[in-house]
Amino acid sequence: MDPALATFIQTHLVKLAELIKEPPLPLDQYGAQLLELIDPEVNSLSYMAVLHTLLLPNVTGPREVILEKLVKFLLGFDPRQIRYAGSHLLEILTLVCGGSILPPSVAVEAVSTAILKIDPAGAMFTSSHLQLARLAYSTNNIDPALKVIEKNIVFYPGMANWKKPSMLCDMTLSPSVYIHKETGFTNPVKAASVLEYDMLAGMMFCSKRDWTKAHAAFERVVSYPTRDGGCSKIMAEAYKKWVLVSLLFKGKLVPLPLYTGPAAAKNYQTLGKPYKDVGSLFDTTNAGELRTEVEKSNQIWQEDNNVGLIQEVLSAYQEWQIKNLQNIYSKVSIAEIRQQTKSAQTGSILSSDDDIEALIRNMIISNSLKGVIEKNDDGTVFLTFLPASTALSEAEFAQEMTKTAVQLKALDPIFKATNERLGTSREYIKHMIKEQKRAADKSELDPTMGFESHVDDEDLMGGVMSTT
Amino acid sequence: MASADPILHFFTIIENQSGVIVNETPKLDLDLYIANYRGRTCFDRLLLVGRSSVPLCVDALKAAITEAKKGKDVQRYRDAWECIRIAAPNEPESKWDPAWVEMTEKANKIETARLEAELKQYKNNLVKESIRIGLRDLGEHLEQVGELAAASDAYLRMRPEASTQAHILIVTKHLIGIVLQRRDWPSVLANVGKMMTNGMSDDEQKLHQPFQKLVTGIANLHSDKFYEAARNFLEVGDPSICQSCNDIMSLNDVATYGGLLALASMDRSELQSRVLDNSNFRNYLELEPHIRKAVSMFVNGRYSACLSILESYRADYLLDIHLQGHVPAIFSAIRNKCIVQYFIPFSCVTLESMHKSFAKPGESLESELIAMIRSGKLKARINTIDKLLVAVSIDDRIEMQKKGLETAKVYETEALERIRRMNIVAADLEVKGNRKSQGSALPSIAGETWFDDTRRQLSQAESTAG
Repeated sequence: MDPALATFIQTHLVKLAELIKEPPLPLDQYGAQLLELIDPEVNSLSYMAVLHTLLLPNVTGPREVILEKLVKFLLGFDPRQIRYAGSHLLEILTLVCGGSILPPSVAVEAVSTAILKIDPAGAMFTSSHLQLARLAYSTNNIDPALKVIEKNIVFYPGMANWKKPSMLCDMTLSPSVYIHKETGFTNPVKAASVLEYDMLAGMMFCSKRDWTKAHAAFERVVSYPTRDGGCSKIMAEAYKKWVLVSLLFKGKLVPLPLYTGPAAAKNYQTLGKPYKDVGSLFDTTNAGELRTEVEKSNQIWQEDNNVGLIQEVLSAYQEWQIKNLQNIYSKVSIAEIRQQTKSAQTGSILSSDDDIEALIRNMIISNSLKGVIEKNDDGTVFLTFLPASTALSEAEFAQEMTKTAVQLKALDPIFKATNERLGTSREYIKHMIKEQKRAADKSELDPTMGFESHVDDEDLMGGVMSTT
Repeated sequence: MASADPILHFFTIIENQSGVIVNETPKLDLDLYIANYRGRTCFDRLLLVGRSSVPLCVDALKAAITEAKKGKDVQRYRDAWECIRIAAPNEPESKWDPAWVEMTEKANKIETARLEAELKQYKNNLVKESIRIGLRDLGEHLEQVGELAAASDAYLRMRPEASTQAHILIVTKHLIGIVLQRRDWPSVLANVGKMMTNGMSDDEQKLHQPFQKLVTGIANLHSDKFYEAARNFLEVGDPSICQSCNDIMSLNDVATYGGLLALASMDRSELQSRVLDNSNFRNYLELEPHIRKAVSMFVNGRYSACLSILESYRADYLLDIHLQGHVPAIFSAIRNKCIVQYFIPFSCVTLESMHKSFAKPGESLESELIAMIRSGKLKARINTIDKLLVAVSIDDRIEMQKKGLETAKVYETEALERIRRMNIVAADLEVKGNRKSQGSALPSIAGETWFDDTRRQLSQAESTAG
């Protein structure tokens, strides 16, 4: 079935190219009508060929109709056929990501869907990813892009040892094989593109206040592989945000990942100093000092566009102070909490017990604190901290474990693809051949009794002995 | 009470210099205490007592003046006089004695010149042994005069002239004596190392062990290594030999230091085996029965009694030349240990009973407990509503489940991250530095204008679209 389909698509493409070049009827007049006749899900290639001609270089024909068709196509094309026309699709995606022909919210939704149609696992980075991220972030249409942004990207275009697959329509192919600049699905990308993408992703998660994911995204930038003492400006910017987000996410400074480039780490020390200073004060009880430290560097926050994050950090300070109290108290009255925790926004304690109670209630509601507020017989209001996790029943635990196992299983195709790529690299094959030869040499009963292999081990005496 | 005012004035000055001031009357008797020592340490100790203890101030300073005048060190006389001049202007000792100063200075100069001349003569004769003796005499004289740097120089020059193992030992001991006075603790440890490297017979070892352990112990104490210092003091060895080291510290001091530091750093079984069952150290403990009592109280779980004994001797410890700076740290370590030990058998204790056992009058125990919990020494939570201290019970089952799920999560993220990095390298997408500009503030190759980039990209797209 697959080989037949492949040949059929090839011939179809040739015909299509001819037709588009010399259409029997002028497309700019009849194109829209023609699109009415074709089903984008069945005849994706033909549909796209027409659409492409109508859209590029300029939109020709009835604009509204064509744009509607465009969205319909992006949401519904057949990913299998489209593999044969990656470059056309890329041109259309680039156009849409430009943001000028479709309303941004529609554009982001359509491009996100299209990207995931091409690569359902979303594991491959393409130039469209970056364009999508830019469009989504700059127009603040984050939600529709999240389904792409949240995917773990592990493959990058331009990986060495790429071989054109025999059949592009093979649905078991790893995305790293069919998404390539040769197939047209992506433009060549640079390191800066990857960095910028993760940076934008981090900032999007920040605006969604999803600190865990933001932290992970910034960390990808901060610890990006470097060579020869390289460090890019984006990495330094990301470091600053990473420090602040780690305060929000963990309540304290976390050490840099071990695999951070040494030169980059050195640069972070100097460039990120004001941020580190704030960070090291965050998990102390010294609210006033934190506040002065923040105010001291107001200029820097502004220059770095981090005023919003800094405000978040200041307002999160007291919440973390309260959270840390659970390491000391099991039950504690609201009045005592008020006395012991200060707000970093004012540098002093809150003005009334009601304020602090409201703050704690909010924390409990938002699930950032496990506890209950109770009232004593004598009228003291107090907070009881609850254990962070309760024991799961055997069945629940088994369920959790199965879920985890499924997640790990999902990594399988990635392992397989990586294994295949590395396994077929020139160096590895050379090495294998050498190893096999050695093994063959050994098994053969050669007259030197393995003298040579002993020589390899530099065990000259051993070799000599065995000949005697 | 006529002298009350000048003393007050004196201690205000001391307070401004952030010196330690002890108002309580210590249990020690100054004359008996100082009789335990000989050599230069007497003066140092007297001056310290004079500068720290309010009740003993005048007596100690007077004794210090007398002690200084017995020696040849003019600077010491001056130091003591500066103190007594302010603290007790009416005492006869507070009159400056120019005749003695002039005479001593002159005598010192003559003596130095004489010894140097002699040394020169010995050098001309090229007799090793007499050069060594000459240098030793010179060093000892300079030490007495108070020129420690010159003295240590003279001792150092003895080393090449040494011809036997014993000579080297003498040099090292002299040097250690000097660095102890200069309070240079790392050098003390370094010199002690030199002392014991070479093979010695058991007898010799025994002979030198007290000195070696003592100075190591002092140096460790000042480096805040309480456990090591405690071990050193507990292993000092024979008291009769140790007696000869009383130019450094007395036998009583060995007992006090050893016992206190052991209390601060060892657990109950170790205290039992290393302190109470230590036959050598028992001899020392007999000199300071209260330490013995405190240790056995601790071992028997009577923590508050142990603390109150130590607390009653706090003033004495604060007047000791070596302990003074470390008393707060040692005491709080012992207190913390007492509280932890007290709490071990319980899952829940009322704060009231903790208060009864540990709180100092008028002070709340809570802040101390909070500090201990925060630093992880005490595994408990405070319940201020029901006034309880509750032990943290770890549910192994929850821990196991959490760990299991966490491990899987970590595995997943780590595997992905590794593959991602491998693939970045494979795609030749690393951020590359310029080898030449390595180390410059920002050898940035990528993204210098990445926000501009965005705009350019957009306008490009617009132009294609429009």
